[in-house]
Amino acid sequence: MTRSAHRLRAHPVADGLDDQAIAAAWAEAEALGGPMLVALRRSAMAMVLTDPRLPDNPIIDINAAFTELTGYAAAAVRGRNCRLLQGPETDRATVAMLAAALREGRAVRAELLNYRADGSSFWNALSLTPVLDALGEPRFYLGTQTDISGARRIGSVETTLRTQARELDVVRERLRLALSVAGAAAAWEWRIPERLVVGDERFAALYGITEAAAAAGISPAAFFAIIHPDDRARIRLAVGGMLRGAEVFSKSYRVVLADGECRWVQARGRSVNDAAGQPDRFLGALVDITEHKRIEEQLRIAQTAGGIGTFEFTYGFATVAVSRHFCDLLGLHPAAELPVATINGLVCPAHRPVVDPVTRAAAGDVTQREFEIERPDNGERRWLTLRGEYLRDTESADLRLSGVIYDITEAKRREAQLRTLNGTLESEVEARTRERDRLWRLSGDPFLVADQAGRWLAANPAWTEVLGWPAASLVGRTSEWLEHPEDAVSTHAALTRGGGESRFEGRLRTAAGDWRWLSWTAVAEGGLLYCVARDITAEKAQALALAEAEARLRQSQKMEAVGQLTGGLAHDFNNLLTGVTASLEMMRTRIAQGRYDALERYIVAAKDAASRAAALTHRLLAFSRRQTLAPKPVEANRLIGGMEDLVRRTMGPEIEITTRLAPGLWLTLCDPHQLENALLNLCINARDAMPGGGRLTIATDNADLGGATARASGLPAGEYVELSVADTGTGMAPDVAARAFDPFFTTKSLGQGTGLGLSMIYGFVKQSGGQVGLVSRPGAGTKVTLLLPRHQGSGPGEAAPAPPVRLPRARPGETVLVVDDEATIRMLVADALRDRGYAVMEAGDGAAALELLREAAAVDLLVSDVGMPGGLNGRQLADAARALRPGLKVLLITGYAEQAVVGEAALAGGIEVMTKPFALDALGLRIRGMMDGPPG
Amino acid sequence: MTLADRMLSPLEHDALTELVNIGVSRAASGLRQMVGGEVLLSVPSIEVVSHKAAAALIGEREGSDLVAVRQDFAGAFGGRALLIFPHGASLDLVRAVVGDLLPDAEARSLEHEALAETGNVILNGCLASMANMLERPVTISLPQVLHGDGATLFQPEPGDDDGLVLFLYINFSVRNRRIRGYIAMLMDLPSLAALKLLVGDFINRVMNDDTVGP
Ligand SMILES: Cc1cc2nc3c(=O)[nH]c(=O)nc-3n(C[C@H](O)[C@H](O)[C@H](O)COP(=O)(O)O)c2cc1C
Ligand SMILES: Nc1ncnc2c1ncn2[C@@H]1O[C@H](COP(=O)(O)OP(=O)(O)O)[C@@H](O)[C@H]1O
Ligand SMILES: [Mg+2]
Repeated sequence: MTRSAHRLRAHPVADGLDDQAIAAAWAEAEALGGPMLVALRRSAMAMVLTDPRLPDNPIIDINAAFTELTGYAAAAVRGRNCRLLQGPETDRATVAMLAAALREGRAVRAELLNYRADGSSFWNALSLTPVLDALGEPRFYLGTQTDISGARRIGSVETTLRTQARELDVVRERLRLALSVAGAAAAWEWRIPERLVVGDERFAALYGITEAAAAAGISPAAFFAIIHPDDRARIRLAVGGMLRGAEVFSKSYRVVLADGECRWVQARGRSVNDAAGQPDRFLGALVDITEHKRIEEQLRIAQTAGGIGTFEFTYGFATVAVSRHFCDLLGLHPAAELPVATINGLVCPAHRPVVDPVTRAAAGDVTQREFEIERPDNGERRWLTLRGEYLRDTESADLRLSGVIYDITEAKRREAQLRTLNGTLESEVEARTRERDRLWRLSGDPFLVADQAGRWLAANPAWTEVLGWPAASLVGRTSEWLEHPEDAVSTHAALTRGGGESRFEGRLRTAAGDWRWLSWTAVAEGGLLYCVARDITAEKAQALALAEAEARLRQSQKMEAVGQLTGGLAHDFNNLLTGVTASLEMMRTRIAQGRYDALERYIVAAKDAASRAAALTHRLLAFSRRQTLAPKPVEANRLIGGMEDLVRRTMGPEIEITTRLAPGLWLTLCDPHQLENALLNLCINARDAMPGGGRLTIATDNADLGGATARASGLPAGEYVELSVADTGTGMAPDVAARAFDPFFTTKSLGQGTGLGLSMIYGFVKQSGGQVGLVSRPGAGTKVTLLLPRHQGSGPGEAAPAPPVRLPRARPGETVLVVDDEATIRMLVADALRDRGYAVMEAGDGAAALELLREAAAVDLLVSDVGMPGGLNGRQLADAARALRPGLKVLLITGYAEQAVVGEAALAGGIEVMTKPFALDALGLRIRGMMDGPPG
Repeated sequence: MTLADRMLSPLEHDALTELVNIGVSRAASGLRQMVGGEVLLSVPSIEVVSHKAAAALIGEREGSDLVAVRQDFAGAFGGRALLIFPHGASLDLVRAVVGDLLPDAEARSLEHEALAETGNVILNGCLASMANMLERPVTISLPQVLHGDGATLFQPEPGDDDGLVLFLYINFSVRNRRIRGYIAMLMDLPSLAALKLLVGDFINRVMNDDTVGP
């Protein structure tokens, strides 16, 4: 039988259902059901009473809450079967399950989709209980209905978000790898008078030109050439604006790469004016946001489906950045920015404003509250919940409130209904002995009778189902022993509030030791409390899940912001870190000297730097792992030994692991972290290629490549360290092998592969002056070989605990000029050097430093930060200073971001480079070494 | 001219945003010199709405006590420019201009002048550089300081009653000061049509400009 046919089946009308007959039926039902039934009938829970003795078990009566829920008035449903609530999407199996239970006269519960009189649908949590007569036969059926659509919807948003969270993980990982391959951002400097755009190496890669060509500068036309034709005009306009005096540039657009691939990028920039106030340079950077775009769209959909509006408010601004859905929820015209006053103006009196520009919170604080608004479009009142988090805005150093809102009017309305339905019970209620009370025993809803002191006098068997305790163990005492400590106060308050009826929620402990949330209705009658409870644990859990889902939602929005981070952040971070570690060192020194009075300034400096660093870390997230490439002499065998355990755990038991490490292996010079990463990636590829198990072989050897062999590998002849990872897996077809090293080439599904593993390895090995080889045959396995040049020299020298060095001190009269725009670092470096006996001068920027050099009699060494504002960077300062004082020794301090700036400087005699963060002692040693070295 | 013709095309919309961006950047450097602090700007957001919708928007968006400096401009295109501070911020601005040392009462007595002067620097700077970019002169009225709610500030003039209005919002703030505010510009229908043409010229100039293009 089809569903619709089923619906259309004729319902035999129960004749003679006049008012008198209904009253008689109720009297009979109450006689059988007792005061509990009265309480239910009056409660805000929808209920229906049917008579199974009439044909097709028709409805005798319903209560007001049923009409409220379904839109059917009593007259419209009396005499009809409850299936009138069912419709096309109602699950057949659930209906059959109900029918079976009714045939057997059993109580039953189900959740199914039902339809209201107006055709709208809702999820109904249905509970059916037979009311038995003296012979034990069902005399009536009692049904209670609860709308759980809200909870259902939350569940589905939750699922969507969970899927997204997984995808986000994948994207995040992809991004991390992409960043380690390509760095964060391609940066350019547009020299406006020269009509030249100079780019860094990532810019070169993006534009498919050589680094030298990018450094020499390309024409503006070339700059625009890779922009997608549909976006080009827009970007030309925006750049046109920058060249004419606009200051800020923030655009996303598409670029078409050399291979035809189209990527979304986010570009941000600023203009710098010359002395006359004319635009002189336009500095910009762009990051690939292709993935973010996609995720953004998904989030937008999820937010709309979940009815969630987002907003962000920076303290002090007059407007709030809002999502379209935010406007919808407030009944406002869609806009990206809304004035604070507008939003707060909608909040009904007696509620706190949505964004309170006065009350300040601390970064990391979370706020949640409910408030009522009056929609300006239709005057309707709605309840909303707001959840927000206070964040420190790194750009403006201001506090931001970032959050979501959603509508809770339905829940609130139900809550209010429960409260207002405060009618006193009619005195017709007859006390019944529990033994005769069939409803009591059969209902799936937990019932309870208590005295006024709250002592439980009787509990129905449903308690055992809900809490696991036998009913007998519950009676005779108050529920204090079961209550959640946090709920005791509110429960007590609800019960003693007076009035005939009270409602409250609370948690009770189950026999298994966990907690169930119950929603109570208690009716006072004849000195006793009749209580009906409903298990709402699942709803509570879903509400919690929603809260978590939102948290993740915000997290993923943050991801977008994180994508816009550039190398500059890493630079900042190193600065701050140096501020902390150096302060600590200075404190130690001062303590050792017993100069406790001098500690305060270091404590302040360290705390200041640390809290700023903490804020930064928050945003850096996984990307903070991007490190300065620091080649070191590496003993590959030892490195592999250190990784073996990790590899074994990653491979699983099906894969047998063999290592063949050549004794007496030469040293090689490369970044050990990258090498570890490369080996791990190779092992993971091998594992993925051996789903049914197999053998993984990691081998090392010394390789002395003669001319021909070397030429074949594209390497100069010479000595190399060879590392290989071989598997007995699926191998690669020639077309796969040919593309395996391409970035983003993968044959694995989303979440399995990023296609960046081999390309990253390739980049790393080339950078280290080596070569990668690949041999693979389908079905026979794969071997990847890394050749890295031999390093002549002493090894890393297994960190023997450093001997207590005598700190090298200055010779009398030696003078150092310290230049850094970061005052903390300048102060610490200067103090540390003074401690070592140097005369120290300080300058906050390049210009001030040159001034000092012109005037001061003797400066032996210049220590300068590389990235500094005010026109002169460290490299340029060094050149200018050496022009003034040929042979001046210079030590440049650099963070990650400025490697490119330092450039060839490191090679020039007398200029040395030190990477942040560093220890003050190391700085002391370095300076001593330079002082003692030959003049620059 | 139909309604659709009067609406800005996406490219014209972008171009107008850039023009405002340029104007505001210029104005900000003026403000910077006055208050001696770093001035942060948001990228401007522009909306063209019908007068009816504008009335609704104003009703929704503005409410509480505001202080505003208003300047009217006329020329090839004309309208009203408003520099709006939420209540409280205006005294901070005065302090930033006249210095922190002045006693409160005196600072307050200078509030009117200081506001008018600041408004003049910002609005004039913004409008003048827009006019300059569009290669059309505009005359700008003397600044007028207004107190009141949004409805007062945005009250339609007689004759404003139909067609479209250009709304423009830019947030600005001064670092280390609690000075925030925004700029709003209202232009009527004929002005918008004139502006559309000028913006079109501007687009052509930028696209054919050899400092940008080939
Ligand atoms: C007291 C009572 C209340 C019921 N309430 C509902 C209800 O709210 N929604 C619903 O879909 N079915 C409800 N039913 C179930 C249907 O009336 C019917 O029993 C079910 O569809 C299975 O029978 P059928 O397969 O003959 O349709 C209720 C049944 C009883 C006895
Ligand atoms: N050991 C191997 N055996 C078989 N195929 C491999 C092996 N290593 C790499 N490949 C192929 O090369 C592709 C690119 O590898 P890789 O760059 O590491 O990215 P990913 O592993 O994320 O897919 C893989 O998808 C796979 O098809
Ligand atoms: Mg891989």
